[in-house]
Amino acid sequence: MSNGILDIDTASRLKGFHFRTRSSVRGQKSGIHKSLYKGVSPDFMEYKEYNRGDELKQVDWRLYGRHDRLYVKKYEDEVNLSWCIMLDKSASMDYGDEGSNKLSFSKKLSATLAYLLLRQGDSVGLSCYSELESDIIPPRSGNSSIMPIVEKLENVVSEGNTALRKPLLEALEVYKSSATFAIVSDFLMEPREIRESLQLLRASRKDVTLFHVLHPDETDFGFEGSVEFQDMESDAKVIVDTRSIRHTYMKRVREFKEELRSMCHEFECRYVFTASDVSVEEPLIDIADK
Amino acid sequence: MNFSFLSPIFLIGIAAVSLPVIAHLISRKSGFKKRFPALRFLLASQGEMATRSRLKDLILLLLRALTIVLIALLFAKPAVFSFSTADSSEPRSLALVIDNSFSMGYGENFKKAKKEAERLIDSTPDGSFFTALPLVPERGETISVIQDRDTARKSLNKIPLSQTYTDNERRLEQVYSALEKAPNEEKQVVLITDFQKNGWRREDYTRKWLTLIDVTETPAPGNRAVTDVESRYTKESIKVKLRVSNFSDSDTSELLTEAKLSGEKIKAYIDIAPGDFTTGEFIFPRTRTNEEPEASGSASIPEDELRLDDKRHFVLSRSGALNVLIVDGDPREDSRLSESYYLASAAETASELLRSRIRIKDNDSFLDEELSAYDLIFLTNVGEITPGKAKDLEGFIEQGGTAVIFPGDRVRAGSYNTLLQNILPGELGAPAQTDSTLVSVETDMFSDDLFKKISQARVNRSFTLIPAEGSETILKLSDETPFLTHTSHGEGNVFLFTSTADTSWSNFAITPVFAPVIKEFLDFESLSNTKRRNYIVGDSVAIDRSSAASSIEVKDPVGENYKIDPQEPVFSDTSRIGIYKVLIEGEEAYEFSVNLDPLESNLEKISRFSVESEPESELGLVKVFKELWRYFLWGVIALFISESVARALFS
Repeated sequence: MSNGILDIDTASRLKGFHFRTRSSVRGQKSGIHKSLYKGVSPDFMEYKEYNRGDELKQVDWRLYGRHDRLYVKKYEDEVNLSWCIMLDKSASMDYGDEGSNKLSFSKKLSATLAYLLLRQGDSVGLSCYSELESDIIPPRSGNSSIMPIVEKLENVVSEGNTALRKPLLEALEVYKSSATFAIVSDFLMEPREIRESLQLLRASRKDVTLFHVLHPDETDFGFEGSVEFQDMESDAKVIVDTRSIRHTYMKRVREFKEELRSMCHEFECRYVFTASDVSVEEPLIDIADK
Repeated sequence: MNFSFLSPIFLIGIAAVSLPVIAHLISRKSGFKKRFPALRFLLASQGEMATRSRLKDLILLLLRALTIVLIALLFAKPAVFSFSTADSSEPRSLALVIDNSFSMGYGENFKKAKKEAERLIDSTPDGSFFTALPLVPERGETISVIQDRDTARKSLNKIPLSQTYTDNERRLEQVYSALEKAPNEEKQVVLITDFQKNGWRREDYTRKWLTLIDVTETPAPGNRAVTDVESRYTKESIKVKLRVSNFSDSDTSELLTEAKLSGEKIKAYIDIAPGDFTTGEFIFPRTRTNEEPEASGSASIPEDELRLDDKRHFVLSRSGALNVLIVDGDPREDSRLSESYYLASAAETASELLRSRIRIKDNDSFLDEELSAYDLIFLTNVGEITPGKAKDLEGFIEQGGTAVIFPGDRVRAGSYNTLLQNILPGELGAPAQTDSTLVSVETDMFSDDLFKKISQARVNRSFTLIPAEGSETILKLSDETPFLTHTSHGEGNVFLFTSTADTSWSNFAITPVFAPVIKEFLDFESLSNTKRRNYIVGDSVAIDRSSAASSIEVKDPVGENYKIDPQEPVFSDTSRIGIYKVLIEGEEAYEFSVNLDPLESNLEKISRFSVESEPESELGLVKVFKELWRYFLWGVIALFISESVARALFS
């Protein structure tokens, strides 16, 4: 059952799943993510000889009984994580009918992800961006934080051209401590800009997940006859014989996806491709841990 | 073989060739529009495909357009046809008449005509009989109809291009006469021609069985030709006058013309307006070479598509010794008192310069004399002229002779006026006393020196004369009455004095003027008495020979010899243009030229409409069609396959 842009059914089905980062992160609260800081945690990591200043409650007295020496238990600390979900609201995202519209799909994906993340104790922020502007909600934790996010997403209207670098810089100013960026976009821009953006994120030691959303028309090019195509972000037009160009076009799209995947691999980012006519469950499962 | 369509209405379908292009243009303008985000991939793809796509589009467009054209042609039922007798499958007797008049020498027309005739021989049903004939018949021709195609082809290929003109209708009648006796019931006469106007007397000539095939392009091409050349001696020079005609619709400017005479050459440039002619005159100084009694030369223009008429030949001839007859109507015992004495003396003086044979006869002998043996006759005080002799004299003048008449006391004006009324330059009146001197009249017959001395002559008695219309007064008396008048008659000339040739009526005979005046008559006759040496193709040439000649031959321009019967010395084989030589007793006697009839140089055609105005069915001819739709159908199928293959290759 769906509740507006928040897919409650999907969220329910993904209840047992956790969304983790690939690397250890700095966190402020206890959570499921491995912390860079060692401390109290259910997961034992190693013993260490007691030194002055160590808390006595961390001394393993049973070991002292056997070896007559003081050892302190060290635990891997689990911390909560701050997420930044970046939603591309450029004009090119508003493609497709109801049920397959890229922006609607992306909103649902973002809302559901935000809900699940909040449920596992992470704090979540949102940036709806285009070349023209970035509309940012700072990261907050707690289940109630889902409401402003959903409201924001419901009011997002597509506008402007696709861009990444500039909105990212703006987001990094706000999400200084956020460890993970989830970017939902069609990435219909110059690959060079995507590369620069990923470089920037990785240099800022952020974990990155790219949700690459394309409409089936864009991947399968299921048009017939001679069609005059007009760009959604500019005045460019082109008349093509769809039949003769289909093969070449699809090859181009495949190459682009491969390039993105390769870029993500290079920068240790997660790349999730999804069509806009599927359930949001599919891309979310791709990044979830059981 | 002609090309036609049996259902030409379907040719409208060819317009459908524009449909693929229009469809393409319409689809470009009003096709399905779509807003699309991934346009960058489309642009990139299109750039990659653009060249290949353009080539593909062009090839496919061509194939499709060609297919549409072929389909339209297919429905229009293409066919080739030829004219044939009603039942084309029936064997027939076919007379192929090739126009070999010289106008067919234009470009490749003659070759094309033979090729067309060969095709007809090959396409005629088995069992047919053939005869291939030139439109200009050859001497001694026999028309035979044969069944063997090879022999027919050989006789066709032997037909030469003639250098003469044609009389098409007369020739076709000959062909019809021969064909009527031919074996098959079906007959056909095919004339392959250029339709040059000169060959047709009637443009509406029609005949049963007749098929006319035009081998030329329409409209008739232009042509330039040397259409006439004249040459004559003057005292100081030889003048060659040529006429160049422009039978075309455009101006001819700076056309190089050239005249050759005895190895000498003169060139000049002329301009000719369309449809007009220009006359040019070349003046050669008299030299030893061209002083010969016979000199030959040519006048030409640069060769064009019709080469034969770009050059004309001429032979310049002067007579040999002049035969002069002096008829003395009042001879005296003392010959020095006779009028003939003064005349003979003057003529003999001139003979030192001009070769002449002078005979003197009295009135009676004159009446029996054969005048045609003479070139110049002086009649002095001849009182008796019979009507028969008057007629002889008239004939003599008509043939080119010159008569100089001095009246005297024996002459009766009325008798002269009656008998010689056709040749006299005026009507003689009664003789009357006068006391006058001679006065010159503007004329080019006498030199200025002679005119200065003319007033020394005094005349005491003379006939009055009323000059006839068309005559000219050369000398007159100071009382304004005529003294010497001239008129032309036929090809000859008559000069009439009004006084005597002795000293009884005037002192004219003893003045220094008399001998030069008589010499002028001899000169005049000598210059005008050139023999005819220039003919056109087809003319009969009367050979000049002495009656004693036993062997006469004529050598034509290509060196072929013809023997001439000395009893009837006429040469008729003037079918080649150029210079002919006459050999008498094996010795070269003189030359004559044969040129084209200039009428054929004008390539203007008759209207084919008028020739074919009689319905073909009435001519007994039908169009025999051979449909070609099968070839077009195969073509359409081949194009369909090609289009499919091309599409598959490019997809």
